[in-house]
Amino acid sequence: MIHMDNVSKAYSTGNPAVNDINLHIEKGEFVFIIGPSGAGKTTLFKLLLKELEPTSGTITVAGQELNSMKRRQIPKFRRNIGVVFQDFRLLKDRNLYENIAFAQRVVETSSRKIRRDVPQALSSVGLAERYKALPNELSGGEQQRIAIARALVNDPQLIMADEPTGNLDAQNAWEIMKLLEEINEKGTTVLVVTHNREIVDAMKKRVITLEDGKIISDEKEGGYSHED
Amino acid sequence: MKISSFVYSLRQGMKNILRNRFYSLASVATMIVCIFMFGVFSAIVINVNHVVREVEQGVAVVVYFDEGISDQQITAIGDFIRGREEVADATYVSPEEAWAQFAPVYFGDEDPELAKELMEGFAEDNPLINSANYQIHLKDVSKQDQLVKAISGLEGVRRVDSNDSVADVLTHFNSLLGYLSVGVVILLFAVAVFLISNTVAVGIAVRKEEIGIMKLIGATDLFIRAPFIFEGVILGLVGSGIPLLILALIYGKLDDLLRTKFGMLSGVVTLVSSGEIFRYLVPISLLIGVGIGFLGSMITIRKHLKV
Repeated sequence: MIHMDNVSKAYSTGNPAVNDINLHIEKGEFVFIIGPSGAGKTTLFKLLLKELEPTSGTITVAGQELNSMKRRQIPKFRRNIGVVFQDFRLLKDRNLYENIAFAQRVVETSSRKIRRDVPQALSSVGLAERYKALPNELSGGEQQRIAIARALVNDPQLIMADEPTGNLDAQNAWEIMKLLEEINEKGTTVLVVTHNREIVDAMKKRVITLEDGKIISDEKEGGYSHED
Repeated sequence: MKISSFVYSLRQGMKNILRNRFYSLASVATMIVCIFMFGVFSAIVINVNHVVREVEQGVAVVVYFDEGISDQQITAIGDFIRGREEVADATYVSPEEAWAQFAPVYFGDEDPELAKELMEGFAEDNPLINSANYQIHLKDVSKQDQLVKAISGLEGVRRVDSNDSVADVLTHFNSLLGYLSVGVVILLFAVAVFLISNTVAVGIAVRKEEIGIMKLIGATDLFIRAPFIFEGVILGLVGSGIPLLILALIYGKLDDLLRTKFGMLSGVVTLVSSGEIFRYLVPISLLIGVGIGFLGSMITIRKHLKV
């Protein structure tokens, strides 16, 4: 699903944010990417979304080689990926239904399909009844569920979540992780960038640790514990 | 782009307009002034052109001959005149025809019987015996001077009359007005483009987060840009539609007024029919409106919306 070969990304100043990374994630995997601030997690995230170009190395995501990809091909490529953020990034002036429908509308899905898919997506995150609510009427955990529903509604092959539990309490954080795990069990590859030590330790998933732009460990059932 | 996406973008464009009411209003107001001025100038220019054309259609130059000139000489002068490229046509008017044309004016037409009687008194003694002439219509009034000069130098020509002043003044006035209007209108259009581009920029700033999400979800460039293009185009269309309506009303009223209240002017001043004016003005103004809107939004999109 994700193949990074000798990928480096250097900004004009300072050390490279990502330094000669080799990373291979297969279809259907659930992977945590952890590391201290400034380790290169965000740069890695952006490289995978083709928001940034690598200085060197090759990147393949969902079978598409990003280096040679033309600008106009980027939107179609991104439709393979569902993205979830720490701050949810919901449209505050639209209700839950419209927030999810928005994701389908921008990729020009037919109205009929939107009417069919949005209620499904809402019930898959347990918020079907609240479809008329505005995002700020919801708790943080619920807002993140909607963000996940939005990421899922276009049937992506890969879900990428950047600190999805960063703004949530422990209870809500767990629920979000369980939801991502369920999604993964249905076959979607899930990549989570996080600082949440307890969750990473408890979930026993593959953990890739970044530090100073390099992968310092890649464990099948890893955790934060080795850092201590 | 699918129809549903087109409709969606159109709706978003309208939402942008309503959301930034103040800026939208400023843009539309400027557009209204622009198109209104453009319309007024155009109407004046078209009307003045119309008058010039009418003057051109009237006899511009009359050529009188020396006394005792032979028929051959008159024919030769006629050939010379007709051979000139600025001449549309030249008609020979014999002394009898000249008298026949002039007498009713001279005797008045209130009492035709009396006039006829008086005219008969002159039957053997044409007072205009020396008034044989060529009446010349020009193709282009502005070339009248050169024609008059050329004919005046001919042998056998006594006098050349021309009503040069009116046509000349009108032609000059029209070109002056043309330049002035082009200048003013270009300046106003630049302001309109600037205001619309600012309005769209505000819209983009307000929707920055939404645009960011759209990019990540996989919206195409066109899909992201379309609402802002629609916004500009709608502003342009409204800003050109309103002044056209106002102009149509004013023009209609003015035309009515000239026909009814100032009936005595109707022989002198007639307006080109509003149908004829607006046949050109409506499509051109709408096109300009849409063009300005499109240009304004494209400038901003290129600058602020690197998708």
